[in-house]
Amino acid sequence: MNRIRLIYARLYGLLYKKRIEQEMDEEMRFHIGMRMRENIERGLKPDDAGLEAQRRFGNLERIKDAARDIRGGGMLETLLQDARFGIRTMLKSPGFTLVAVLALALGIGANTAIFSVVNAVLLRPLPYRNPERVVRIYESNPARNAPTFSISPANYLDWKKQSQVFESMAAYSRQQNLTLTGGDRAQQVVGARVSAEMFPMLGINPALGRAFLPEEDRTGGERVVVISHGLWQRGFGADQNLLGRMLTLDQESYAVIGVMPAGFQLPNNDAELWMPLTLSPNQMNRAERALRVLARLKPDKTLEQARAELGEIARRLEEQYPQSNLGWGAVIRSLDEVIVGDEFRQALLVLLGAVGFVLLIACANVANLLLARAAARRKEIAVRIALGAGRLRLVRQLLTESLMLALMGGAAGFLLAVWGVGALVSLSPGNIPRVDEISVDTSVLGFTLLVSLLTGIVFGIVPALQASQSDLHGTLKEAGRSSSESFTRRRLLSLLVVSEATLALVLLVGAGLLIKSFVRLQAVDPGFNPANVQVMQLVLPKAKYAEDHQIQFFYQQLLQRIAALPGVQSVAAASGVPMSGGNSMNAFSVEGRPAHPAGKQDAADYRTVTPNYFSTMGIRLLKGRYLTEQDHKQAPSALLINETMMRRFFADEDAIGKQISLAGLEDKSFTVVGVVRDVRELNLETEARPAMYMSHTQAPASRSMSLVVRTAFDPAQLSAAMRSEVTALDKEQPVANMRTMKRIVSDSIAQPRFTTILLSVFAAIALILAATGIYSVMAYSVTQRTHEIGIRMALGARAADVLRMVVRQGMVLALAGVATGLLMAFGLTRLMSGLLYGVSASDPVIYAGVALLLTSVAILACYIPARRATKIDPIIALRYE
Amino acid sequence: MVKPTNKLLQGTLDMLILKALSLGSMHGYGVGQRIMQLSQEVLRVEEGSLYPALYRIEQQGWIESEWGISENNQRAKFYKLTRLGRKQLQVEEENWGRLAGAVFKVMETT
Repeated sequence: MNRIRLIYARLYGLLYKKRIEQEMDEEMRFHIGMRMRENIERGLKPDDAGLEAQRRFGNLERIKDAARDIRGGGMLETLLQDARFGIRTMLKSPGFTLVAVLALALGIGANTAIFSVVNAVLLRPLPYRNPERVVRIYESNPARNAPTFSISPANYLDWKKQSQVFESMAAYSRQQNLTLTGGDRAQQVVGARVSAEMFPMLGINPALGRAFLPEEDRTGGERVVVISHGLWQRGFGADQNLLGRMLTLDQESYAVIGVMPAGFQLPNNDAELWMPLTLSPNQMNRAERALRVLARLKPDKTLEQARAELGEIARRLEEQYPQSNLGWGAVIRSLDEVIVGDEFRQALLVLLGAVGFVLLIACANVANLLLARAAARRKEIAVRIALGAGRLRLVRQLLTESLMLALMGGAAGFLLAVWGVGALVSLSPGNIPRVDEISVDTSVLGFTLLVSLLTGIVFGIVPALQASQSDLHGTLKEAGRSSSESFTRRRLLSLLVVSEATLALVLLVGAGLLIKSFVRLQAVDPGFNPANVQVMQLVLPKAKYAEDHQIQFFYQQLLQRIAALPGVQSVAAASGVPMSGGNSMNAFSVEGRPAHPAGKQDAADYRTVTPNYFSTMGIRLLKGRYLTEQDHKQAPSALLINETMMRRFFADEDAIGKQISLAGLEDKSFTVVGVVRDVRELNLETEARPAMYMSHTQAPASRSMSLVVRTAFDPAQLSAAMRSEVTALDKEQPVANMRTMKRIVSDSIAQPRFTTILLSVFAAIALILAATGIYSVMAYSVTQRTHEIGIRMALGARAADVLRMVVRQGMVLALAGVATGLLMAFGLTRLMSGLLYGVSASDPVIYAGVALLLTSVAILACYIPARRATKIDPIIALRYE
Repeated sequence: MVKPTNKLLQGTLDMLILKALSLGSMHGYGVGQRIMQLSQEVLRVEEGSLYPALYRIEQQGWIESEWGISENNQRAKFYKLTRLGRKQLQVEEENWGRLAGAVFKVMETT
């Protein structure tokens, strides 16, 4: 009731503003009249009576203002009034408005863009039901350099059976390449096997059809498949009648029973179709660790309880099955930790901090401009105070103007961010988790609005408070001559310049460190020569290529055909190429050495290769000999090892000639025939691990092989010809991962490149903003001191003296900023040490270089206004009002 | 230096205005005069507080205003207590009685 009347009164106030004002006027005039009569009755002269009445009434305007505020229409009305006035002021100085909005747009835009990435990658919940309760479980053997490892089927089943903390537990296999046939063209798709509990556990139902039944997840169950929304659309034209249709996968038929909703993915897995895991009894071993396991915590259980319980179970299994489980514990990670790696999370947080700094600098810049302008508006404000404007009212007016500036900056920044996010996504490496989810949505819009408002208050409040406390008397008398510019204002301006320089320096140091680190990273010798090498991956289906000799025959023929292509210098095949994932590890023992207890054997990466793999990849021989065609099936088994393996396991003796037996191939013994240089297998950053290479004819044939082709010209030109050679041999055989080796190497450092480019861009923006900040303050100061400088020159100061004086004034501030910035950078860059490669976070060269850069820019920013100061004509300056 | 003060307790001005108007409708000037008379010249209401208070109370719905003719035949805005205002005055009077009693007790203690 009361509320309705209030709203009504407010509306009435807005609509009949004029009338209300008139009534108010009349009421007060009446009051003064009455008082005057009373005064006359008391015996005052009419003139004095009137004056006394006026004086007693006080400032009419202030009372009316207070009344307006109370009347409520007030708030809204003053806002409109202020906004109108603000627009007029802005239009009066378009240059100022443009510069301020531009600075804010850069600051707010950068924040919005980075926030949209952070929002998608870190903040937005994963597309599962209550994703915070889903965890990933690993086996862990720190002693064997396997802090997190897949799980063996038997251990998985024991954990599942014995643990009480989980609502349910489900397993999935590594992704595998499958050949999908039946359509017009054979297609390579990525699939994974999942246990029947998986989809219900994640809380995601198929959009179409159903999930797996428990009986389908048993050996001998129906062959069924669930496909992704993407594959459904791409491969089957979103056919509503697809359910029940048969698909041929690697020569076997599967019935489609479901289509998952768009965007569904298993963690760290690109699978587009899923089949039941069907753990068969003969797979129930404990030593073969290949399952990935997810589990959902019960609502009342914590991660700590789960860790304690699984640790206990793992200890029991260790005692029960020492042969396979000695040294293996359990590790639990929350899902978002699993999906967004520590390093990328750190990079995003560093970037978020960086854009925060950019925004602060932009705020300081605009505050500078506002302070300078407030000085120019001093007279206007003094007049308004004289006319009765209250301090609060003035602050509100000035803040409204800042908020309008900020909102305009925010709007421009938002547009900038929409464009920027597009650029970010296209720049971002494919291995950024959840990159396809990055978008500018309502929460990003809300963020921008909030940041804009905060920004407006941050940069507006100090100038507003400062301006509203003008000394009325002095200002009006002084009539615009500003030799007595207020001390506080000058101190404020100095403070802003110093902080701008400080923040810019911190950002520059951060960017400098990342750039140096990235240069170091790029200069790392990967151990092979990636130039002019084309890579292509093939996975032969088991049904068609069951026997070793079939596989070997196929690859032999393919290699011969490709070697005959024009421009091909050499071609080889390997079970895996560097930086493409899929490393295999195998336990080994050196003959003649005491055997290690089970679970504690030495292990090394291994690859099967064709003999000319090393010459094709440019991997140098250090000792002994390469593999040759003579290392065939009947010949003694030969083994090449890398430098790290030699150093780690054969430090005191010659490795050549040593006999090594490999787990799973105990019937043979391999002779070490040579040592090759280390190859960075994981990525450029990670040092090589011990590795062994054997000839593909002397090891079990690998169905999945990567072909590496060294060419005389741009290797990418060869891809079509290579594809058609595959088709010529087997028209149903698809090809995957056709890439140049250079591209593979460059992809492996995509994340550091992304971070480096972004931070450099932000640092550049910061430098420009800081430079314009210093410039505008100095230019303002020179204008304010025109009179003083004129006097100095009239008294005989030379141009050089004036120049020195102005530059010194600016440089004192800039150098103070550089000094505090160096200290702050020293503290803050510690936070990004995890992102640096081969550079210390306190690298003196970078610190010195950045300090020098900022100092030179600052000198330039001071020099231009200083030059202008020297051009001041003393005669004009002395007359200058 | 101790001197007698006649500052109004915050919030009491509203009550005084209501009280003044409970004796009959009145224009703003009259409200100020009446409070002065009733307090035997102790309480002098500043115009700078009087009018904002009148507008505030009017907005609360405790008083309403209309234009009329003053005792010296001039157009003036008259304020009058509403039913809601009468109730409010009662509440405030009770509160005030309690408060004054309490303050008196405190001050009486020797």
